[in-house]
Amino acid sequence: MNCEYGEKLILHFYGEAGDGLASEVEAHLKGCASCRDALAALAAAEALLSKETPLPSEAVLQAVMRQARAAAHKPLFVWSWAETALAGAMAAAFLLVFAFAPQSASPDLAWNSGLDSGLDSVEYSMDQSRSELTASSGDWDYNYGVLSAEEQALSAEEV
Amino acid sequence: MTEGLSDTELVAAFKGGDVEALGALMERHKAALYGYLLRVTKRADAAEDIFQEVFLKLVHNPGAYGEREKFKAWLFTVARNAAMDYFRRESSRRALACAEGDAPVYGEEEAPSRLDSAASPEPGPQEALENKQLGERIAAALDKLSDDQREIFHLRHYSELSFKEIAEMLGLPIGTVLARMSRAAARLREELEKAAQ
Repeated sequence: MNCEYGEKLILHFYGEAGDGLASEVEAHLKGCASCRDALAALAAAEALLSKETPLPSEAVLQAVMRQARAAAHKPLFVWSWAETALAGAMAAAFLLVFAFAPQSASPDLAWNSGLDSGLDSVEYSMDQSRSELTASSGDWDYNYGVLSAEEQALSAEEV
Repeated sequence: MTEGLSDTELVAAFKGGDVEALGALMERHKAALYGYLLRVTKRADAAEDIFQEVFLKLVHNPGAYGEREKFKAWLFTVARNAAMDYFRRESSRRALACAEGDAPVYGEEEAPSRLDSAASPEPGPQEALENKQLGERIAAALDKLSDDQREIFHLRHYSELSFKEIAEMLGLPIGTVLARMSRAAARLREELEKAAQ
């Protein structure tokens, strides 16, 4: 089957070619022994497989059915009436709580909540710490400067 | 009761709790699916294991079949994937056995005889012999196909899906599927001609 009809031939053999293509292939087959032989070989192979009808053992089918029955008795997610009623009651309770709970209508909630003053005090504390650190650092620089001067004086005396 | 129902209706009935619908599905597809698996694995025990695995997938995860595709296409896709897993496991097992110095437990030459022993119903002795010889020649020719060609030939025969559906299942262009099938037909012709000489 070295001609260009290989794929068309396959579609025709398996009944997937449209009417136009089927007629075209039929006409081609009349003059192409190679394609006829290929179809005959394909038909023989199909016939061989069709003769065989092996079946799985009954034990395999029964094993699947046993597991299916067991799974059917253990539903994964089935609501009972009691569960449905309970879920509804809980949802209603949540709605009531949110509908009637006192709410702060002010949009500038952060300013009135004390949050800002709290943040101010944190900022103030941080500023204080920074000042103290700077001051101690200054003291250290000063002390170090004095020690350096004393050391230079002693060196001069030794000379 | 389940006789007139389509595959999709049977799956829906099974999902709704009708276990017998699964039995009807198995009954409907057991010959094609098991025949395919036996041809592919060449072992009855492996074919039965995979057959069971495919339907148990539906039992334990009914949502795995989305009902948008044809049930048979889903069935053969799952079966093909499970068969590929089987071959991967076998390959690892054989590699391990070879590394340990053991001979392989079985090979392709030990394919179950029940596959090729089928003959037409009650032929005469001469006809039976000729049938047997022809069957052997065709089986040998099928073994000469490449894996790709044989896969498509088997899928088309057992699933009876269209080449378009098979192309979708394999994630291949339909032209590739048809070209492989065309080469398979040419190879079968060549092998049968050689055997006849």
